[in-house]
Amino acid sequence: MRKYLVILFAVLALLSFAVKSTVVVGTTDKIVILDPAKAYDYFSCNVLENIMVGLVGYKIGGSEIVPQLAQSWEISKDGLTYTFHLRKDAKFEDGTPIDAKAVAWSIERAMKLNGDPAFLLTDVVKSVEAVDDYTVKFTLKKPDVTFLSRLAFTVAYPVNPKEYPADKFFNGMPQKSASGPYKVAQWVRDVKIVLEANPNYFGEQPKTKRIVVMFYDDAATLRMALETGEIDIAYRHLDPRDFLDLKKSQFVKTYEGNSPQIRYIVFNVKKAPFDNVLVRRAIALAVDRQAIVDEVFVGLAKPLYSMIPMGMWGHEDVFPKRNLEKAKALLKEAGYSASNPLKIDLWYTPTHYGLTESDVAQVLKEALEETGMIKVTIKYAEWSTYIDYFLHGQMGMFLLGWYPDYLDPDDYISPFLGTEGAKSLGSFYSDPQMDEWIVKARSVVDINQRKAYYHKIQVKLAEDAPYVPLWQGVATAAALTNVKGILLEPTQIFRYYIIYAE
Amino acid sequence: MKQYIVVRIILAIPMLFILLAVIFFVLRIMPGDPVLAVLGGKAPKAVIDRLRHELGLDKPIIVQFGDYLLNLFKGDLGRSTLTERPVWGEIMDRFPATLELTIFAFIVALAIGVFWGAEAARRKDGPVDVAARVFAILMYAIPVFWLGLVMQMIFGSYLRWLPIGSRISPSVDLKVITGFYLIDSIITLNWEALKDVLAHLVLPGTTLGLVISSIFLRMVRNNAVLMYSMDFVKAARARGIKERVILYRHVLKNAFVPIMTMMGLQFALLLGGAVLTETTFSWPGMGSYLVLRIKYRDFPAVQGTVVFFALMVIVISILVDIINALVDPRVRY
Repeated sequence: MRKYLVILFAVLALLSFAVKSTVVVGTTDKIVILDPAKAYDYFSCNVLENIMVGLVGYKIGGSEIVPQLAQSWEISKDGLTYTFHLRKDAKFEDGTPIDAKAVAWSIERAMKLNGDPAFLLTDVVKSVEAVDDYTVKFTLKKPDVTFLSRLAFTVAYPVNPKEYPADKFFNGMPQKSASGPYKVAQWVRDVKIVLEANPNYFGEQPKTKRIVVMFYDDAATLRMALETGEIDIAYRHLDPRDFLDLKKSQFVKTYEGNSPQIRYIVFNVKKAPFDNVLVRRAIALAVDRQAIVDEVFVGLAKPLYSMIPMGMWGHEDVFPKRNLEKAKALLKEAGYSASNPLKIDLWYTPTHYGLTESDVAQVLKEALEETGMIKVTIKYAEWSTYIDYFLHGQMGMFLLGWYPDYLDPDDYISPFLGTEGAKSLGSFYSDPQMDEWIVKARSVVDINQRKAYYHKIQVKLAEDAPYVPLWQGVATAAALTNVKGILLEPTQIFRYYIIYAE
Repeated sequence: MKQYIVVRIILAIPMLFILLAVIFFVLRIMPGDPVLAVLGGKAPKAVIDRLRHELGLDKPIIVQFGDYLLNLFKGDLGRSTLTERPVWGEIMDRFPATLELTIFAFIVALAIGVFWGAEAARRKDGPVDVAARVFAILMYAIPVFWLGLVMQMIFGSYLRWLPIGSRISPSVDLKVITGFYLIDSIITLNWEALKDVLAHLVLPGTTLGLVISSIFLRMVRNNAVLMYSMDFVKAARARGIKERVILYRHVLKNAFVPIMTMMGLQFALLLGGAVLTETTFSWPGMGSYLVLRIKYRDFPAVQGTVVFFALMVIVISILVDIINALVDPRVRY
């Protein structure tokens, strides 16, 4: 009898070491739409990145562009034509080959429908054509070195013409269009989505056959779902304090990774008193980044001294370290004193960046008031209202954040410092010299030349200070200890197909 | 009776109209723009203007209201600005979850409210009555999300008896037919799913049930106490009828009309008012839908949900009146 029991336990132990066929991921994000032409929020793109592939993609764990559907490509000397050679074994879920026609059709569709992310293509692409069955040629409006990174964004992923309508967005569950490691097996909106291995994928089959993503409404429930084992991985939006708690748990392993998210103050440079560069510089000197990082994020963030994030080429610490004496001198020069303090409103939104935002505002207020020459009133508005206010120039100084659309310093510069971009962020900064540098930095191919431009741009950014970079995020995830292969990548792509549970 | 119902329905129409007008204009006067809420500040102006035009938001507000009413009259609630799906379909996806939760909570509340309330009235000022009073005040005063969180922590996180959120475990497969998971699992003879769905109902259902039970408890107790002071109870006692029979046959039956009216209203309110419970337990019902869509300024979705709630309240209050008339022959319309 005892012998049988021993054997039984041995078998059970073996079984429990085998790879589990299902991994459950929990999140507080939501999927909006699974159409690459329209998807622009994090989680919609996240699912698309796991069920579809583009012409090019990012290397696992890195930010280098690697071939995907395109095996190779040539760039013409003038930088205006890109010719891609497609791999011949790529198929959609239903067996339809992904040929040049499907690729060109999808790109044209995305540009014509002009959805939220379409500008990534329409800004640079003049035309796209299928040269033969497996060759696609892009003609650009002007030379643009960010083009390949733009193609790596989901907006440029080909979709199956048999499923996605040519003249409108597709808001259902894709059943014929998967071209990546997974296909969608079931989708109950705002409740869960089930992904299963796609047998028609040209690459390596995923380690876990089935991924279930559960959507939770709040972070406290997400944490408990992980602790009770209802989910294997909690990804996106655990509260920082919950995360610290989980760090101590022996059943849970926590992950921290580089995040390309940056957070900053925006000044409306057309609105008094922020139209005075001395005021902006003084505030840039008085903010206490370390206090925000330590007190609010309990270390889960890094102080940032440029709009280009750390870890990306071109980044330089151009903003000065905290210096209250210098800040006071500048304020004095601008005509303020202890008896005639600078009175400002600081705006934040409690509904978009999590519960920590009000603490950030409080820490900032204290840091600025330490000069003895600034009086800060904290104000807030709910997110939809907030956008309305800043686009119409109603707020003078407010907190915002940015996730990149493509990984290139340009995506951290032109949307902020270019005249058009600055309008859409409520800063209304405009400088012809800056505009010229931005265009040049984007059109030269040589990386050293580009670096030289970004150096000039960043120095001027710190001088004019229309924005004050505050901190760079740290991406977090937590998982049960038997889950392996979780990678928090600098690209923000979360690949389910390299994850497995023992 | 028939005439009365017809009059009630006709009277409901202006009420619905006023409600709709208020919601429609408040949503539009409030700062925040559905297009910007969906696109964020990144989108170029051309895209924003195009989407605004597509949604008809560039027309004068009165024209928009007229268009909306016209479509509503045709039974069309419009399309969500966020997902571009028909609002009616989205509501129907969510409604079964809310109804299931509400019915469960209602059963819990009824069980506690009626039995405890009746016992408390029978022994007025006795220990059961005092306990009922304390319980009712406590439950009424505690915010539902806090109670929910405590329940999650005790029974979910610490004791691990019950799941803490959502309607069904990720590992359990259920073929969804009606959207009522309990019914679906019974039709498909999926006992594993039935057990799982029931387990998921317990925490949110009990939380919500406890909170409304306090109202029922007070209501039943007070009405029953009132009935006990009536002459017919004395007469019944004089005839030697058992106390228990007096309570359930005479006292409760006569206290039923005000209680029934109250319950109907509570039920209708619950269908719309479970917002906090649904958010706490990630229960994918109408409440969490409404909250999510207000955040995105999804005008058609918010308006559709409110119209739907209003219709529910009207239908239920008419039903309650009919039931009252059937139960109590003294009720005349």
